[in-house]
Amino acid sequence: MALWRGRTKGAARDAAAPTVTDESAPATSAMLDVQDLKIHFPTDDGLVKAVDGISFTLDRGKTLGIVGESGSGKSVTSLGIMGLHHGTNAQVSGKIWLDGEELIAASAARVRELRGDKVAMIFQDPLSSLHPYYTVGYQIAEAYLIHNKVGKKAAKQHAVDMLNRVGIPNPQTRVDDYPHQFSGGMRQRAMIAMSLSCNPELLIADEPTTALDVTVQAQILDLMADLQQEFGSAVIIITHDLGVVAELADDILVMYAGRMAEYGTSEDIFDRPAHPYAWGLLGSMPRMDRARSERLIPIPGTPPSLINVPSGCPFHPRCAYAANTNGKSFNEVPPLRAVGPGHLAACHLSTDEQRRIWGELLAAQLSAADSDQQREDA
Amino acid sequence: MPRRGFMGLAAAGAVAALALAACGGGSSSGGGSGGGSSSAPAGFNAAVTKVVNPSNKRTNGTIYFGNSSTPDSTDPGDTYYANMWNFSRLYTMPLMTYASTPGPGGLKVVPDLATAPGTVSDNGLTWTYHIKPNVKFEDGTTVTSQDVKYAVERTFDRSVLPLGPAYFPLLLAPQKPAYPGPYKDRSKNIMGLKAVQTPDATTIVFHLAHPFADFNYVTAIPQTAPVPPNKDTGTKYQLHPWSTGPYKFQSYQLNKQLTLVPNTFWNPATDPNAKQLVSKIVVTMNMNANDIDNRLLAGDLNVDMAGTGVQAAARAKILSSNSLKASSDDPITGFLWYAYLNTVVPPMNNVHCRMAIEYAANKTNLQTAYGGPVAGGQIASTVSPPNVVGHKAFDLYEATTKPGGDIAKAKEQLKLCGQPNGFTTGIAYRSDRPKEVAAATALQQALSQAGIHTSLHGYPAGTYYANFAGVPKYVHQHDLGIDFGGWAPDWPDGYGFFDFISAGNTIGAAGNTNIEELNDPVVNNLLAKYGTTTDEATRNSYTAQIDMQIMKDAGILPEVYAKSLLYRNPNLTNVYVQPYYGMYNYAVLGLKS
Amino acid sequence: MVTFIVRRLIATVFLLVVVSMITYAVFFLIPRLAGQNSYQLATQYVGRNPTRAAVLDIEQKLGLNEPIWVQYGRFIRGLVFGEHYNSGTSSTYCPPPCFGYSFKSQLPVWPQMVSSLPVTISLAIGAAILWLVGGVTIGVISALKRGTLFDRFSMGIALAGVSLPIFFTGLLSLALFSYKWPIFPNVTFVPFTQNPLLWARNLVLPWVTLAFLYAALYARLTRAGMLETMSEDYIRTARAKGLPERTVIIKHGLRAALTPIITIFGLDLGALLGGAVITEHTFSLNGLGQFTILAIDNQDLPEILGVTMLAAFFIIIANLAVDILYAVVDPRVRH
Repeated sequence: MALWRGRTKGAARDAAAPTVTDESAPATSAMLDVQDLKIHFPTDDGLVKAVDGISFTLDRGKTLGIVGESGSGKSVTSLGIMGLHHGTNAQVSGKIWLDGEELIAASAARVRELRGDKVAMIFQDPLSSLHPYYTVGYQIAEAYLIHNKVGKKAAKQHAVDMLNRVGIPNPQTRVDDYPHQFSGGMRQRAMIAMSLSCNPELLIADEPTTALDVTVQAQILDLMADLQQEFGSAVIIITHDLGVVAELADDILVMYAGRMAEYGTSEDIFDRPAHPYAWGLLGSMPRMDRARSERLIPIPGTPPSLINVPSGCPFHPRCAYAANTNGKSFNEVPPLRAVGPGHLAACHLSTDEQRRIWGELLAAQLSAADSDQQREDA
Repeated sequence: MPRRGFMGLAAAGAVAALALAACGGGSSSGGGSGGGSSSAPAGFNAAVTKVVNPSNKRTNGTIYFGNSSTPDSTDPGDTYYANMWNFSRLYTMPLMTYASTPGPGGLKVVPDLATAPGTVSDNGLTWTYHIKPNVKFEDGTTVTSQDVKYAVERTFDRSVLPLGPAYFPLLLAPQKPAYPGPYKDRSKNIMGLKAVQTPDATTIVFHLAHPFADFNYVTAIPQTAPVPPNKDTGTKYQLHPWSTGPYKFQSYQLNKQLTLVPNTFWNPATDPNAKQLVSKIVVTMNMNANDIDNRLLAGDLNVDMAGTGVQAAARAKILSSNSLKASSDDPITGFLWYAYLNTVVPPMNNVHCRMAIEYAANKTNLQTAYGGPVAGGQIASTVSPPNVVGHKAFDLYEATTKPGGDIAKAKEQLKLCGQPNGFTTGIAYRSDRPKEVAAATALQQALSQAGIHTSLHGYPAGTYYANFAGVPKYVHQHDLGIDFGGWAPDWPDGYGFFDFISAGNTIGAAGNTNIEELNDPVVNNLLAKYGTTTDEATRNSYTAQIDMQIMKDAGILPEVYAKSLLYRNPNLTNVYVQPYYGMYNYAVLGLKS
Repeated sequence: MVTFIVRRLIATVFLLVVVSMITYAVFFLIPRLAGQNSYQLATQYVGRNPTRAAVLDIEQKLGLNEPIWVQYGRFIRGLVFGEHYNSGTSSTYCPPPCFGYSFKSQLPVWPQMVSSLPVTISLAIGAAILWLVGGVTIGVISALKRGTLFDRFSMGIALAGVSLPIFFTGLLSLALFSYKWPIFPNVTFVPFTQNPLLWARNLVLPWVTLAFLYAALYARLTRAGMLETMSEDYIRTARAKGLPERTVIIKHGLRAALTPIITIFGLDLGALLGGAVITEHTFSLNGLGQFTILAIDNQDLPEILGVTMLAAFFIIIANLAVDILYAVVDPRVRH
């Protein structure tokens, strides 16, 4: 049963899965290649390991969804890619290859040049993320002017064009409006317009629909899909909502406690998830094909502290299956290993175990749905 | 947070250290703009008895005056302040003036615009003056007697010029209808004062209502300084009075800054009482009083125009430094601080009750309340201060021998007035004058030891005479047996000093200055005789007699002969205390360099 | 926007009228209510020689017998047309705008205030420029270099500046730089038109003293505002766009942080134009503040009344300007 509405084009990933640790040049010809990214913040309370060894690749025209709870390190990852950690006291290690250029060792000035131009970002709350004192047109044009040698009039015209592209009616008048004069959905479109104004090759969207209501969410996601097709850019969507990535993502990276929990194609994650955390996410997700009467199953417990990450498997305090690992979960950090072609999971459970448990879970859900259906029909 | 606080503390500490350094290491010399010569200062009180730095040398310099308030008016016809009467000599010549010399000689009036003191005729009713020919105004026109007459006429209109003294309407022969002054109905009233006649350009004749032998003193008031009628702008005349003195107005920003420059038409031969020695005089008004003192000591300012002495902070500095003290003077100003002892409110209507107060008062504490021996003054035992002509020292109530008071004698007097256990009465004083507040409290405390219990009543100074202590009815109703006051005479003889504060016929329903309501025929007769006694020596002998009688009546409790501590800028020449004004003579100052 | 301004203007005029009424009532109505009759009230207005005739004269001229609204009406009329004070025997003319006539100093109040204004304006504006530029700059740098030695040191100095009273810092600066070391001797006001160099030189000490106090305040305010603004989301967006850091700080951060600063600045300047009382007194500058002190010292009621209204006027106008400015600066307010 298809649990997700995949996009009709571009199904499987074609590149080989990257190895977990690699110190040398990009292993792949992917546009974005992140290798063992670590971002730590020293604070008065201790060292916060916000991102603790993340690796993934992304091609042009493809979408990666990074999924996790709040505090899992997903936003920090994107800040690392943008180079926004420069000037803070963050300790960054690993490699980020963007179109053959390594970013972590690059100078702050170079990274700033790329920001907005090659890599752009849209944020969660468009009302607070746009400056209240400047018109939307000004803010869009500002990004364009910084990276292109054009006059102000040309930049403004470009802003009008962009507003038109994202589907805002009357762009010539609306370009002189202020952010608070837009509705929520329109604002997010404007933000998207701003980020795409320099035709970036990589677009990072951090919770792009969380602040919007459901009907508008769908519109924005559709818009992003269309624009991606049109501009050919790579997209990273960061979210805690699997429903969002079900729409758009080619690949999904599930993060937990700053580390990779599972990584694979959308199909892998939705059809044959291997990590108990992923099972929990799927089980706690409201879905159209689930009976209304069925209760959502939340994952028990709370996200762990990033200063004192639990020993062994960071998920073990909340895992229902930790006992099945003969104590390994408590002591050993589970290695990230392949459970299928291009499909990685960091779990001590054997692949067979994982498949078995997932099969049981699925069956239980289906039978519950059937019985509900029967009750309804009757 | 703690760290920030520490930084703040350190910063404050640094500032405080700077402040201490600034205060402690004050320059010992008086400074002096223009690099004063390093001759030693002339000594404490040197300028009281002699001229310090006598010199006729002209320089190109500027004398800077500072004034902590504003003059009541720079119009010579409209001012009542001692420092203005002094200062106006720089640009006016009244008929008579006080001699420009230190010591008792300065109490005499000598001719200024006039050639000689007035000649009396017609049984004392007519006074004739001749004015010097060829005295010129600042534009070169010659002064005539009609200019003097006009000046006197102006003082009759109190709605235009309300601030000066009102002697001319009082003393001159009246006309019917009463002369309204030259401003109303100008064409009719200009030169319309019949009591003053000008038979020719240099003669002026005054017709009095009653004989008044002191009239020469009256003509020494700046109101007789000549005013050309066509230059009189009424209330605006103060902006540019037409000068007959050594300097003239260059510019006057009202109540802010006044600049005087030499009057090229002034002739020193006609005006020996003034000097023209500098190229500019600048008066800055409404300055902070302490700022004035600091600038005086630093040498940025030459004279404190008010002439009433430095403030407490500078006083402490001066008195504690030998070199600064050697550049200062502590003259008698001519003021008496005292308390009226009302003769009507019972039981004070009995003279012995009043004498009890005289004995019980602690003069030392009162002196301290007024500022001590240097700034407050000398303990007084007579009503007239030493710079009144004819003054004799005496002491009826042990003020100088037992300045702490004599409670035993006070109690004796209480028995004699039938109040052996003391009595109660009220003390009135001006609540916005801190010295008077302190004095009233000190007096209350001293009297209570003799069993005289008093309640204190403070009133605002502006309306003290108009509404409270100066209203006999109010005094009676509120049992204000003791009322504080201060007095300086309009001229330094017995009449000038005693008349308003002790003559029976000056008791007024409001604005009364004879607050003790003394109506003693001895005093009244002597005061009346002033008008008719032509012999100066005889007149001056009345001073001591009146004084003695008032003290026998215990109508006044004298406290201190006021003194003020003045700082003498070492760069000034011709500095001396003019005893009538009680401050430095402003008309003769020059600069060393 | 236009309706906004018009509404505020109407409110301002209304406010001015109310203030004038209240002030007038304080001086002329309350003594009556407290039991004073018009003669006693008149004695407060008379000069040095309060003879009965003079008091009656003033009682007539000021019309103190009349009902309070008649008196107030005449006062308002006098503001526009001038006023003839008539007693039977004499008449005093007070040219428009007549804020009152001081019988104690024999002068109408308005010209006296006007002649004091250049001093106060010079003092206020000069100090304002100094403290705005200095305070904001230090605040911005402190916020950006938060926690460093510069930040701690400048905030420490700012604490001192805010805590030390003006009469202390003023006197200290005079003691050091005017009396002891004659760098700025004889601080007196020289009109700008007369000698601009000397005008500026003589005002340096008062400017710096006054500015020190306010700069300290503004440094702290700017620092707090900047810290808050720089942690806003739109700063992150600006950086994400690749804008140079200087543009982010100034155009995005400071621009937002300055809004409350500017409004406070307007109010401070408005109040200061009513007379920087302590500073003017300390430095012997004859501005409106000094005028106020002397009027109070002399208990000269017409002058006190006039200066109260003028100071209130400045503050009300400043409020209006600040409201309008706020709408100009922050578009959210307009809609």
